[in-house]
Amino acid sequence: MSSNAPAQQAPAIGPELEREARAWMDDPFAHFGYSNTRLHSVPREEQEAVQLAALNLRLAERRQQIPVLAKLADAQGIDSVATINDAAPLLFEHTVYKSYPISLLARQRFDQLSKWLDKLTPYDITGVDVSGCKSIDDWLGTLRAETPLDPANSSGTSGTMSFFPKSKADYRLSAMCFRVQLPQPFGQMPTEGDLKDKMHVMTPLYRDGHMSTGAFGKYMCEIFAFGDESYLHTAFQTKISSDLMWLAGRLRAAQAKGDVSKVDVPETLLARKAELEAMQRDMPAQQQAFVKSMVQELRGQRVFAMGTTPMFYEVAKSGLAEGIKDVFTPDSVVMGGGGAKGMVLPDNVDDIIKEFFGVPQLRSSYGMTELNSFTVTCEHGHYHFLPWVTVFLLDRDTGAPLPRSGVQTGRASFFDMTHDGTWGGIVTGDRITIDWDTPCPCGRTTPAIQGKVQRFSEVEGGDDKITCAATPEAQADALDFLNALEL
Amino acid sequence: MTDSLKPISYAIIRGKIHHDNLVSFGGRGGDLEFYAPDPQTIIDELPIRSPSDMADMYELSLDDVIDYLEELGTHLDFRTNDYLREAAEYSYQTAPTTPPIIDGFYATLPLMFNRERILQWVDNSVGREYLEGWVEKRINGSDFNVRAYGSRALHIVAGNGPTLGALTVLRGAVTRSDTVIKVPSNDPFTTGAIVRTMVDVAPDHPITKHVSVAYWRGGDEAFEKKLYQPHNLEKIVAWGGFSSVKHVTKYIQPGLELISLDPKHSASFVGEGGLESEEQIIEVGKRIACDVGVGNQVGCANCRTVYVMGGESDEAIERLVKLGHAVYDGMLGLPEDMSTRPKRYDPELKSHVDACRLSDDFYEVIGGQQGEGAVIVSKTSDPVDFSAYLADRTVNLVPIDTLEDFLDAVDCSTQTVGVYPPQWVDEVRHKGALHGGQRFVELGYNLNGPGLIGPQDGIEPVRRMVKWIINEKPTAAMTPMWEFKPGETHLVA
Repeated sequence: MSSNAPAQQAPAIGPELEREARAWMDDPFAHFGYSNTRLHSVPREEQEAVQLAALNLRLAERRQQIPVLAKLADAQGIDSVATINDAAPLLFEHTVYKSYPISLLARQRFDQLSKWLDKLTPYDITGVDVSGCKSIDDWLGTLRAETPLDPANSSGTSGTMSFFPKSKADYRLSAMCFRVQLPQPFGQMPTEGDLKDKMHVMTPLYRDGHMSTGAFGKYMCEIFAFGDESYLHTAFQTKISSDLMWLAGRLRAAQAKGDVSKVDVPETLLARKAELEAMQRDMPAQQQAFVKSMVQELRGQRVFAMGTTPMFYEVAKSGLAEGIKDVFTPDSVVMGGGGAKGMVLPDNVDDIIKEFFGVPQLRSSYGMTELNSFTVTCEHGHYHFLPWVTVFLLDRDTGAPLPRSGVQTGRASFFDMTHDGTWGGIVTGDRITIDWDTPCPCGRTTPAIQGKVQRFSEVEGGDDKITCAATPEAQADALDFLNALEL
Repeated sequence: MTDSLKPISYAIIRGKIHHDNLVSFGGRGGDLEFYAPDPQTIIDELPIRSPSDMADMYELSLDDVIDYLEELGTHLDFRTNDYLREAAEYSYQTAPTTPPIIDGFYATLPLMFNRERILQWVDNSVGREYLEGWVEKRINGSDFNVRAYGSRALHIVAGNGPTLGALTVLRGAVTRSDTVIKVPSNDPFTTGAIVRTMVDVAPDHPITKHVSVAYWRGGDEAFEKKLYQPHNLEKIVAWGGFSSVKHVTKYIQPGLELISLDPKHSASFVGEGGLESEEQIIEVGKRIACDVGVGNQVGCANCRTVYVMGGESDEAIERLVKLGHAVYDGMLGLPEDMSTRPKRYDPELKSHVDACRLSDDFYEVIGGQQGEGAVIVSKTSDPVDFSAYLADRTVNLVPIDTLEDFLDAVDCSTQTVGVYPPQWVDEVRHKGALHGGQRFVELGYNLNGPGLIGPQDGIEPVRRMVKWIINEKPTAAMTPMWEFKPGETHLVA
């Protein structure tokens, strides 16, 4: 990193380009008529021109509102960018969203946590009184109730929980990514039903919560079923507790340290340990039972079903054996994914699931809490980015942006101009490959990921490298081993 | 010598050098690809055929053993030894450190074989007399003798420094063991070069015949299942993290013992009275810089976090930041055979350090922009949440109120604790030991002590590498059991 100002000046933004950029930033789906085909048909040069304009507009506006962005932009000496790659030094490391001292949570200093989070969002949240908050759920619930934000926490399995100031508008946009991209075949204009039908949503998770997996239940219901709760089908009829997730993370951390007498959470939370253990124990069986019962209940309906491939496979295999198939209407969507988790899946697992549910394709999605706009697979199995998402591939070692041509593999980083609650520029730990020059045979003009998304830590690992110094990998492996023993 | 055109990890088995049936290893993520004999073609020769084949080691006196080692040491000058020269060149690519530091390590190899050093080490671990013969004892009216015997041992060595292979050769020889060394992919060359030198110098010597070196991929089940059997081995000494030990644990059974040299980390403590003047701050900074920077922080003895008493007042934090600058300056001022800019600054770590830099309410980051290393000063009593990742000359200074706050951070994986000022040592070592700390030194001396031929750490591996054999003898005063009358029997366990 250096503080060289870019040599070139940012290109002037004409009124027409600015209007276009504003429309993409403010209400992108409306701008494209909620059409999957139109979204993915903008010529590449046009996408990038609008993206560059939006980058400069957002930078000018957000650096006044987001202190951490101002600090970063000042340190880099960047006021505007002449090319897309010039903006790479302005992307936030994902670790920024957990850069608070861990004891603030243990000591329940939600006032200080609010002050910290305030520096990462354009919304002023310091005016909200959180002094009476007794738990993470309480704190995040208060911010949800009193500000445009609905901050999301991570699972905290690493021992630290990150807090991402997503707004309610951000969540709705994320849910809309599924609603528009999944049911509409590319090349066809949306039908009346694609836009207006209430669709059943089934997810093997929770109805609500502050972890995004919980909150999504709530927002999916809004976007897919226009708020009709009877169309939201979840395995658990509760709100997932962020405090319990925190407890789970700290218990693991204490175990790893070899001193379980020191779990740095409040007594009231520690008292919920049995609840957590029951939850962890019962979860897999409950989810499996849920998918089974949904297959009965939603037979012949138009459904958006989210789950993991192994979960769907189990149900599909036994269903087909009983002669059951074509369970949902053909315009339904089944979205799988997730690792095999020790199960051996047959090569034709997709076909088995498709036949049972009666859908043309088993879909999957790549996305994260820190990126509003989810990508989904096309007919050729490639994840396509939405036109308003600027993709950067960064060199693994130097962090320098790789050329935006040819086939490139690097650290996946994004600027999503639609972010309302945050700056929207993020560097991930994922390793992806993009072929910038060859259009996808599916016909979409948007850039797509080639092959698998992998964590850098998985790809590199210590291939038989042995050292006497403790490493995080060694510790994490130790935890996995403990977990395996507990089963 | 066309073989030397490609990097070969030679298998040397009981004096015979194998370089046929080469297969390729490594090469992942930009690592060096190297070649080694197909493990399946050598597996039958690796284990010693019969335990009685170890008898030749007992025809040597301890003096003979040390004569051999001393002689070997004179051949291990890497400026003149072609095998070592070649190994060093390849190690520049595989090792976690940089060429000047690797050269520094190689330069110390002959010193490790110094007679006086070996004798001191033997006396302070197993004891010379136990290795030389039977030591007579009397307990409870019975005479008995004790002797330390060598074992048939496999060593899975770490690769963070080229001295570890030499250390293993030394340990195997003085304990009269049959030593099989599995080299790691981060140093597949050095140990082979040392053992090839042994073959050149004394091809038929029992010590040469009782050392074998080979590479196979850790976790190669077909191979390990065959070798890791009680009829081949008695002990497995495994360095490294869970992933390396995990491969081994499934083969452990009665008759095959695991000596696990667990991965460790080190943290230091600066108590009240440590930062009284500007001069003292500079000195403490230099001390910390050595503990962090020497060897580029790849060892378990390198310090990663320093807890400093004095609280979190503005004044205290200001002093801590001053100390941070002194550490940073000290680290960058270290000579290049001790410390250099890291080979490759871990990008994951950089992401964390950069995030701290932006979170300036809670952290002050000194340096770290150029991949040279960094000092992260916490402004609250929290260490950074990524403390397990601290490496590449990156240290976290944490303000605390009391010694107890430091003890919370000491656990069973804490190896070395540096302490300053010295008047704190007695209290810190006692309380720290209860929490799991294993080695207590004065701040600045983490890597400036007896070294690895000292007790290493709480594990004392050499005492565990030998088999302690007992021979009991009746004394004249004892009544034979067959002469006991009813009621005279006193069987006491």
